[in-house]
Amino acid sequence: MIEVKNVAKKFGRKKVLKGVSFTAEKGQITCLIGINGVGKTTLLKAIMGLTPFDSGEILINGEKIHPGTYEKITFIPDTITMLPNMKIREAFTFMADFYNSWNAERAGELLKFFRLNEDDRISDLSKGNAAKVNLILGLALDVDYVLMDEPFSGIDIFSREQIADVFTSHLIEDRGVIITTHEINDIEHLIDKAVLLDNGVILKEFDTEEIRENEGKSVIDVMREVFQA
Amino acid sequence: MKRYLKLVNFEFNRFFKLYLVLIGITFVAQMSGVIVESKSYHNQANEIMQEDLLTQSEYVQQYGPMSFLNISESIWFLGTIALCAVTLIIYVFFIWYRDWVGKNNFSYRLFMLPSVRLNIYLAKATTILLFVLGLIALQLLLLPFENQVFKWIVPEVFRTDLSVLEITNLYYLNLLIPKNILEFILFYGAGMTAVMIVFTAILFERSYRLKGIFYGIVYCGVSILIFLAPLLLQASLLENYFYPMELLFLEIAACVLVLAGAIWIGNMLIKNKVRV
Amino acid sequence: MNVKFNNRDPVYVQVIQHFKEQIATGIYEPGQEIPSRRELANQLKINPNTAQRAYKEMEEQGLIFTEGNLPSRITSDEKVFQRVREELILEAVGAFVDSIRTINVPLNEVLQLVEQNYHKKGDSL
Repeated sequence: MIEVKNVAKKFGRKKVLKGVSFTAEKGQITCLIGINGVGKTTLLKAIMGLTPFDSGEILINGEKIHPGTYEKITFIPDTITMLPNMKIREAFTFMADFYNSWNAERAGELLKFFRLNEDDRISDLSKGNAAKVNLILGLALDVDYVLMDEPFSGIDIFSREQIADVFTSHLIEDRGVIITTHEINDIEHLIDKAVLLDNGVILKEFDTEEIRENEGKSVIDVMREVFQA
Repeated sequence: MKRYLKLVNFEFNRFFKLYLVLIGITFVAQMSGVIVESKSYHNQANEIMQEDLLTQSEYVQQYGPMSFLNISESIWFLGTIALCAVTLIIYVFFIWYRDWVGKNNFSYRLFMLPSVRLNIYLAKATTILLFVLGLIALQLLLLPFENQVFKWIVPEVFRTDLSVLEITNLYYLNLLIPKNILEFILFYGAGMTAVMIVFTAILFERSYRLKGIFYGIVYCGVSILIFLAPLLLQASLLENYFYPMELLFLEIAACVLVLAGAIWIGNMLIKNKVRV
Repeated sequence: MNVKFNNRDPVYVQVIQHFKEQIATGIYEPGQEIPSRRELANQLKINPNTAQRAYKEMEEQGLIFTEGNLPSRITSDEKVFQRVREELILEAVGAFVDSIRTINVPLNEVLQLVEQNYHKKGDSL
């Protein structure tokens, strides 16, 4: 379980997170939804130990983050994390070199599924293909948790379909997933839990199937109620 | 340890192409320097001897012989050494900033490696050291070769021959290539301490950004002050209280202290404070 | 398999509905093996937890059964098949009647139109 407890963070005088608490379970997809603002990405970075926060606590499987945690949790940001002059194959080799949890077989499978060529240079990839490579770098790690920042933003419709495909084929199944997004359309049926974040505050946290079952509302209905209140 | 070595290897490869270019430039420029300087001395000597009807020994008596010093103090040598030095000094900064700049954010990957983050810091420092030593080794390899070429071009009567050891003992080369192992350790130890101070100052900036520049400058100031403390005390309050040997040991201690501080603070920053 | 889900009904309920339709139309035969929850999730692009929940519910309703570690199968019970078929017919008729009632059409007229349309559509198929 990932536990975020009362996390606050300022950039200069601007409060980006004002005491945020939520949990993300293993085997569930938790979606951080926010219409605007930088809070979502900051939150993911804070969980990953990529940005310090001012107060509060974040625990992953009951522990604070340490180097070994990176074999158990991975982050797929919306920017590519490999050197531009690397070929895809070299990026894979780098991952295999440093991570025990790298699953080369799965990386190969995903590469084939996306019809990418391992001799392609990262700097030559289109935005959609770069996002796919980024996704492979995260998903081919045998980790417990995957954090994804806006996996669909700025990507063409066919790439989005492919990525959504991979979600159900390779992503879930016993892993814990946190996805941030500002538009829910692509993944509304996929997520277990929605966390609505606005201006650094969590406005609502709910189980999506429960809200459909008990209140007959779609996720967008709830977003409309909460964000426009 | 395994991951540290992999990181060193990785960082080394990242700069290797440019490094080879640097080596190429150094080789070509220094060899050209040897040839051009030697030829021009020889031609000039021939011209003057013809015009003034001098014998070779008369010429040498009047105008002096040529030694390798004439070459090693030429722009060909000083230029390449300055070029290498400046490139490496710039790379001390760029080795960090290249992970943040551009649309690719390698810093994410680097800080998500399942390895103690201090390894990144130490690997980058090691890489710089390897590049410096590599260039020094190159210079040591080139010198005898260049000396030989010089001897081929300039006839013996016009030359004052120097051994490689004599060449390296002269002027600035003595700083780059110290005579004994103790000096070597002292010079390069101080050099690496300076590199690590800069590294830690960069991490201040990468952690606190705009404010970090200020912290970094203050940190550098304090480090330099500590490093110079024994000398300053000796010169002011204590009025030559220490013997030179004692002062040397105090300096070494100050240097080790500053180095330990750089690594310790650098570790704290890279572990807890740095931002991608 | 391409299913269009709506946003307001629980996905697991829609998955069950989808299975019932396939049972009623005979796409699934009695005792036929069905996909694992993971395969189903992948086919329908849904969360495996949802697939799991749909299977659990269907098992409780007697639509499917699982023996030991073997893959789950559609029930062989004719009565269940009959029940599902009736249920779907009643549901469709119910919805139809509701919408017809709101526009106040007499039953005779409706039945006539239904007959005509049913044949017309049947011909074009």
